[in-house]
Amino acid sequence: MKLLLNFFYFLFIGLLISSCSSDDKDEEKPTISVNYNGGFPQGCVLLAKGETYNFRAKVTDNMALASYSIDIHNNFDHHTHDDQVTECDLEDIKQAINPLIFIENYSIEDNLTSYEINIPITIPRDIDAGDYHSAYSVTDQTGWQARTSIDIKIIE
Amino acid sequence: MNIRTSQPIEGANIIGKGIFSISSATGAFTINNVVKDSCTFIISHLGYASKTVTVIKKQKIETLLVYLNESSTTLEEVEIFGKLKRSAVKETPIVSHTISKEFLDKNRENSLMQTLSKIPGVSTINIGSGQSKPVIRGLGFNRVSVVQNGIKHEAQQWGNDHGLEIDQYGIENIKIIKGPASLVYGSDAIAGVVDIQPNKIPFYNSLLGEVNILGETNNNLLGISAAIEARKVKWFYRGRLTYRDYGDYKVPTERINYENYIFELHDNNLRNTAGKETNASFSLGYVFNHIKSETFFSNVHAKNGFFANAHGLEVRTSSIDYDSSNRDIDLPFHRVNHFKITNNTSVTTGKHTLHFDLGFQNNYREEHSEPVPHGYMPKPSNSKEREFNKNTYSLNVKDKFKPNTQHDFVAGINVEFQNNNIGGWGFLIPEYNRFTIGVFIYDQFEIGSNLHFLAGIRYDYGLVDTKSYYDWFPSTINNRDGSTSHVNLQRAQNKTLNFGNISASTGLSYIRKKTTYKLNIGKSFRMPLANELASDGVNYHMYRYEKGNLNLDSEESYQLDIDINHTSKQFSVGISPFFNLFDNYIYLNPTSNYYETLQIYEYTQSKVFRVGGEINASTTVLKNLQLEASAEYVYSRQANGAKKDFTIPFSPPLSGLFSANYQFKNFLFLTKPQLIADFRITAAQNEIVPPEEKTEGYQILNMSLVTEMDIFKNNQLVEMRVKLNNVFNTKYYNHTSFYRLIDVPEAGRNLSISLTIPFNK
Repeated sequence: MKLLLNFFYFLFIGLLISSCSSDDKDEEKPTISVNYNGGFPQGCVLLAKGETYNFRAKVTDNMALASYSIDIHNNFDHHTHDDQVTECDLEDIKQAINPLIFIENYSIEDNLTSYEINIPITIPRDIDAGDYHSAYSVTDQTGWQARTSIDIKIIE
Repeated sequence: MNIRTSQPIEGANIIGKGIFSISSATGAFTINNVVKDSCTFIISHLGYASKTVTVIKKQKIETLLVYLNESSTTLEEVEIFGKLKRSAVKETPIVSHTISKEFLDKNRENSLMQTLSKIPGVSTINIGSGQSKPVIRGLGFNRVSVVQNGIKHEAQQWGNDHGLEIDQYGIENIKIIKGPASLVYGSDAIAGVVDIQPNKIPFYNSLLGEVNILGETNNNLLGISAAIEARKVKWFYRGRLTYRDYGDYKVPTERINYENYIFELHDNNLRNTAGKETNASFSLGYVFNHIKSETFFSNVHAKNGFFANAHGLEVRTSSIDYDSSNRDIDLPFHRVNHFKITNNTSVTTGKHTLHFDLGFQNNYREEHSEPVPHGYMPKPSNSKEREFNKNTYSLNVKDKFKPNTQHDFVAGINVEFQNNNIGGWGFLIPEYNRFTIGVFIYDQFEIGSNLHFLAGIRYDYGLVDTKSYYDWFPSTINNRDGSTSHVNLQRAQNKTLNFGNISASTGLSYIRKKTTYKLNIGKSFRMPLANELASDGVNYHMYRYEKGNLNLDSEESYQLDIDINHTSKQFSVGISPFFNLFDNYIYLNPTSNYYETLQIYEYTQSKVFRVGGEINASTTVLKNLQLEASAEYVYSRQANGAKKDFTIPFSPPLSGLFSANYQFKNFLFLTKPQLIADFRITAAQNEIVPPEEKTEGYQILNMSLVTEMDIFKNNQLVEMRVKLNNVFNTKYYNHTSFYRLIDVPEAGRNLSISLTIPFNK
């Protein structure tokens, strides 16, 4: 029995040590925002074919930013909605013929903790007009990720 | 007559006032010279409870059937058997836990693994209300082997939304090994084993059956399971049919907030989580002299819906009217069918006992979701996103050799062949063939009557042959010279990989009075899976690009287990700490890079250190009040690699369970009524690794009333269980639940009523 109690004691001490050992792991996700003056696109914005727009978003991290991506894809089938809590008027559901697909990745150098994404994108003339999503995502060097998705509309 | 078998009892004493008779082989007896109008006599037989019967002379009785309950003898038998088993468990240095049918009946939850999660050190990854997969001391997926009738259950265990396809009814005996057990069970048993053992052979000349009916309020479940088993002398058979149908389950919240999304729930229903399950099994057995053989056929079929608002992490809107019914199963859903044939044969010759286990399994799974264009993939033409069709052939041969009273040698060979085929428009894992063969030998040596030593070694050879896979649609590639091309990308390669592994285990057990001490050191391994080696594709539901690594080695794990148990009449206390080191733990590491705007997750290996254990104590305070407490904890840390100092994925938090069990006096027709309260306290889980979220702690109270009911004339006792889960309808999150990722709380209050009605010929 005594031996048993000793084991309890050691386990307890062991647990205490292991659960209290402090460490400086990065447990914070990066952030991403278009909610500032100049942030683009804003929810429900109309984009005209042939025009060039600067896609701008602010990203931050507690330690070091690593990469970001921009993804523009159609929402002709209303498969999802954005997370900016804006309800946009959607067109009727339709079949995609030649939708815009914009899929690009970029890296952020120099271990920055804040950065402004600023990418000019020209909306091609030969693509389907209609409802689209514009999605940003950003990672930090630990591997945490943040995403945001915005409803936009491409018009003639 | 014997009440259980309905067989006549020969040699029963019939004793009345001045009368005496003995029943014949047919069970009949005659009493002459009865003078009185009525007479009372006692019928008794060794092994049965005596019964007093009154016969009134005036009434014309053509046949008087007297049923006798099997009693003392059988009970004694059970006890002796139990003791033997217990001492065998005590003597082996392997730390294991045996679960009886009684425990399963008393604690039955919606799935087998949820039932077993009451055992300290065992937890689950739940996918909705009806499906779950085993986790032992924080490790799950392919790191836990589930064995049924000696054959390893092979399905798509690596999958996040895959649940164990085994009918939880009709299981009498489960052995759980909480530690590396590759020595006997081969690859995958690196973290533990859930060994569902064959049921015991029915008694001679018996025909038994039972019907179990279950109703639940939370997901409006209706379940029925009926079984029959019979034996003449040499031949026996058993069969079981199970059907379960349930609606969407309810969570104690009106809306779910996931990142910036808000999902309003209709009537607290977690949309489209309904499901149904149809299982059938049949076995035919033969037992005579030194041969025992049973062939077991089973088929488990299930269809389960997945939460409609988010599939994986992907938020979905749909024109499907999910709220029109809470019982229909719309997209997304999966359908799984698991067919199994196994044969277990054992032959005893002199000092050898040979065991043969032969198995064939087919696991077929389809996953359907609304087709949506993704990246360069155009909108698919149908809803079948994934199809897996896997055949597994297994053969185990084992020889138990006892040359003298001191040694127990076991030598064996395991051979397994897997053939995995895929279909559908989504790609996650490639087609592959996999062949493994392992040989082992171990000896349990009795140094003294209370000191036992075990040592064993095993070698495994494995071959994985992955098949190439190309996208069915072209992707746009930006070439270096500035031009673009459209290519059907290759996602998996044709590759043949070899693995060889040595496993070993050694341990001591020492029994001193009422205390048992065990010490075991083992080395186990796990061969990398085809997806860990060869996947190279987009998992849109998880918003990630999964990249395999052909250079992965087999996982190797070293573990030290200690188990100390003290059991006396009034109380028992036990502790089982462990220390574990993984040389090269394989996990899907989220990197900081992107592929086509999706975060790249790469299969990586790192050194992992884990320590933890379970403690439990139980005591009988009053004669009828039993108190039990247990706690489980695992601490894991990656010692190198990209996620150094982080824990490993799906780490269960510190958790304790307090149970009180009070047995009331018999009341009316209620026999042995028991009231059980289970109070679980789980700490917050702040040890996470990307992309997990921290999870707050919680306290949950479950209550249940278990009783037997004497309502049938033939003295068959009906078992009833009324269970109230989550009494206070607490909103809480389970860190290891599939829906935790999208902030879905666990099920709300649930009242379930279960009846088990036995019958015989």
